Amino acid sequence: MVAAIRKLIEFVRFIGLALRIQFTKIPPRDVLVTQLVDAGWGSLALLTMLTIFAGLNLSVQSYGSFERFGGQDLLGMFAAVGGVRELYPVMAAVVCGARIGANLAASLANMRISEQIEALEVMAVDPVHYLVAPRLWAVTLALPLLCGYADVVGLAASYAGAVWQLGLDPGSFISQVQEQVSLADIGTGLFKGLIMGWLVAVISCFHGYSVAKRDGAEGVGIATNLAIVHGAVMCIVVNLFLSWLIYG
Amino acid sequence: MDKLLRSLQTLGALVVFIGQVARSAVTPPIYWGETLRLMNVLAKRCIVPVSLAVAPVGAVISLQGIEIFKLFGAERMLSSFLGTAIFREYSPALASVMVAAQAGSSIAARIGTMKVRGQIDALAVMSVDPVRYVVVPGVIACVIVAPLLSVLTNILGIFSGWVFAVPLGGIDHGAFMEHLTAQITPADLWIGLGKCSVFGLGIGLIAGYLGLNVGKGAADVGKAANDTVVSTIVLILLVDYAVSMALLGAGL
Repeated sequence: MVAAIRKLIEFVRFIGLALRIQFTKIPPRDVLVTQLVDAGWGSLALLTMLTIFAGLNLSVQSYGSFERFGGQDLLGMFAAVGGVRELYPVMAAVVCGARIGANLAASLANMRISEQIEALEVMAVDPVHYLVAPRLWAVTLALPLLCGYADVVGLAASYAGAVWQLGLDPGSFISQVQEQVSLADIGTGLFKGLIMGWLVAVISCFHGYSVAKRDGAEGVGIATNLAIVHGAVMCIVVNLFLSWLIYG
Repeated sequence: MDKLLRSLQTLGALVVFIGQVARSAVTPPIYWGETLRLMNVLAKRCIVPVSLAVAPVGAVISLQGIEIFKLFGAERMLSSFLGTAIFREYSPALASVMVAAQAGSSIAARIGTMKVRGQIDALAVMSVDPVRYVVVPGVIACVIVAPLLSVLTNILGIFSGWVFAVPLGGIDHGAFMEHLTAQITPADLWIGLGKCSVFGLGIGLIAGYLGLNVGKGAADVGKAANDTVVSTIVLILLVDYAVSMALLGAGL
């Protein structure tokens, strides 16, 4: 209990530190570009695969539920609204947490136990500025783009599921999507992506950065695991509150 | 070409591995003590993250569903939609994803650490079959723990949906309960739990395989744990889709 509270206080201090460095200094450009490519481009394949199945699933599963009261023609609307507003941003963030976040935590923890962070300090390079800030910026900038990409792929998959597999009318599906999904909905999804991306990044960086040298290789594994689990839970909970604020 | 060969090799090794696990799981001796210990550990570690991850989903379904259903004046039907969505889809899938993130990665890391330290070889030297002693308990534990957690998340998901539909959304409590009980059949519950078991099986098998085939050093252990999470999430979504199509075809 005491340990958990101490960890929480450490986390809050880390957030303060990260925010200050993130917004007062320009992050080193080479690290930022590498991280951005890794976070964005590197996640595309996984995200594409997952979003295709999620989109197909959204169609097929809600078809079963709507059929019970004869509402299957509303599928397009549900798939579009549910997908763009909720499912795809959360999926992009959770996938990002499982892949990018774990990578961040593992790499930072590895640097910590191999004393690379101390080496930076000795060279009078601020490790938070040099290592953490570019990673935070990279994930924060990459996630909204991934969300937008997931929206496109997911909607296409939902369309494919609804029209080709379930035999719904393509025109009505498209017109429902056009009617129900406004630019504001897409923007909200991207905004959620921005917030969740920053959260995932800051949680992963915290877990990686706060590993102690004496934890050794086991500490790296624990930090990675904590980064994934805390990141995913945080995304889902924060998503609820964001939706509540925006749509409630 | 090289890549293709290597992936074929992995696939073959995976099939052989699954065969080994299946044989060890049905023939004695099964290490029940180890299995129970592992189940205890996994359930304790997973219960909080799994609940925290699934509970908000019910709330979000209510929040967004009310608007859509109101367009047709059918907001009383919300609970039947919420019920089927939670019981059949979101509770099993999300609970399994979180079990994969928490339990799967820790099983892979544990087996991987044993492998790196040479403990797996030590077991084999003592003529204890490592698959039987290390992998099978993990698989059985996952298969049993995942549905149990899903029961809990079913309740939590429905409850959080209720909170956002009745006190906050203004739907009549009686109508909510009536549609919930009228539309949800035991079949929905069993389908959800069955899916959870299948996902749990996948988690245990992938974690065991990647753990046993870990590379040389500590960094590889972390990689195995991470790979377990990513490949299980892919597997869960893929299987979920296949099962949904099959159930739709069967008219369930």
